Amino acid sequence: MNVRSMVASAAVASLLVVGSLAQTKKGGEGAKPTDPQIVGVVTAANQIDIAQAKLALKKTKNDQVKQFAQQMIDDHTKLQNSVNELGKKLGVTPAPSDISKSLKTAAAAQTKKLQGLSGKAFDKEYIDHEVAYHQQVLDAAGNVLIPNAQNAELKSAVQGAAPLLQGHLDHAKQIQSSLGGGSSSGSH
Amino acid sequence: MKQVSSSWCVRPLLWTMLAFMAPVSWAAHPPLFPTTVANHPTIAAQQTTPQNAAKAGDSGGAQVVMKAMSFQPAALNVRAGETVVFRNEDIFAHTVTADDGSFDSGLIQPGESWKITMPKTASLAYHCRPHPNMKAKLVEQAEPASAGKQAASQGLPGFNPPSKPQEFHPILVNFTAALLPLAFLSDLLGRFFKRASLNNAAAWMVLYAAAITPLTGIAGWWWKSTLHGSLPPEIIAVHQWLGTAMVLVLIALAAWRWKIQKRGKAPGASYLIVTAIAVLALIYQGSLGGLMVFGK
Repeated sequence: MNVRSMVASAAVASLLVVGSLAQTKKGGEGAKPTDPQIVGVVTAANQIDIAQAKLALKKTKNDQVKQFAQQMIDDHTKLQNSVNELGKKLGVTPAPSDISKSLKTAAAAQTKKLQGLSGKAFDKEYIDHEVAYHQQVLDAAGNVLIPNAQNAELKSAVQGAAPLLQGHLDHAKQIQSSLGGGSSSGSH
Repeated sequence: MKQVSSSWCVRPLLWTMLAFMAPVSWAAHPPLFPTTVANHPTIAAQQTTPQNAAKAGDSGGAQVVMKAMSFQPAALNVRAGETVVFRNEDIFAHTVTADDGSFDSGLIQPGESWKITMPKTASLAYHCRPHPNMKAKLVEQAEPASAGKQAASQGLPGFNPPSKPQEFHPILVNFTAALLPLAFLSDLLGRFFKRASLNNAAAWMVLYAAAITPLTGIAGWWWKSTLHGSLPPEIIAVHQWLGTAMVLVLIALAAWRWKIQKRGKAPGASYLIVTAIAVLALIYQGSLGGLMVFGK
């Protein structure tokens, strides 16, 4: 599997999920997530990223990727803690939605894919997907979650999470370009 | 015979020019060397009470806070040798990492802090390694005494081609500061001694000044924009608008001067008076610039 096909598959995967997000936006019930559903999406997004980072910590031998995965675990755990606290304070329990379901479905497929890879191919796929994933969650936050949040405190909490996601996206892109430069030999 | 008379004319001319230039060039560029600085008690006295000493008393030293995924403030003015404390008040761990790789704090956990001594660089950009969208910088605050001492102890500094805005403005300003007074003087003497060549030179010098001064102005605005409001507001307000006005005045003067030149005459009293006022404004403008660079 070469670099290009992996980037392409990551791009296609993210397009599919973004497409499904767009559909849920159009389709009646899922169009406007409620506050419990928004908390559910944020929670799912955090859990997915933590789970994949844990997998990456087990499989990767690259220090950069290891550090990144550890950072994802630390940052998203802290973010989730603050979401939990806020949920408790506002009396909001996370509820499932089309968006959280589609995130989980895509994540399951991605985890399966990652489990079948190792070495540089794994690092590449993990980081490529982290770039696509953070972009996708960032878009969902900006286009769907923030505009629909009813509670002002919840709204500002999601707005506050956006720079963190942007930071992860930028960091993942940096690693992506350094991996791309290092693994151009492409032989098996 | 003619040769002798002209050298008789030229020598006092040169001396007058030099005498005239001295205050202008001093205003634009006060001397750097410590012995000369010490001769000016006002400047020397001000150095012992740096602005940051007061700031340190108020807020307990130079400090950057990491909060809500950002460094606050985004640009901090620090004197070389001063300690800067970075405090993490965010819920995430961050690093303070120099863009040029000269330092890296390692992960600073929430609630922890880290210190650095400001090195001798004009501007030091840094970021957070795990969150590259967190960017900020430390800007070195000019300290005339130590800069002068350094120059004296290390001999002549080497030549570095200008690359930063704070290097372009002081270079370009010399052209403006030299050309306009010389043009005025040349016209004045040309009229007095009835020498067309002096008037011709004056016309060209005004034209050069009008062409170069917009660049001086742009470099000045550029410099100001990199300092993020750390300049004394009342001085920079006058300096920036007087400077911008000077750009327009010089262009108008050049147009006026060349209208006179086309008619083949020496400029009359009205032009000379307006130019003299412009020269005085330029001296005042230079003194304001010097005040901001070399201390209050």
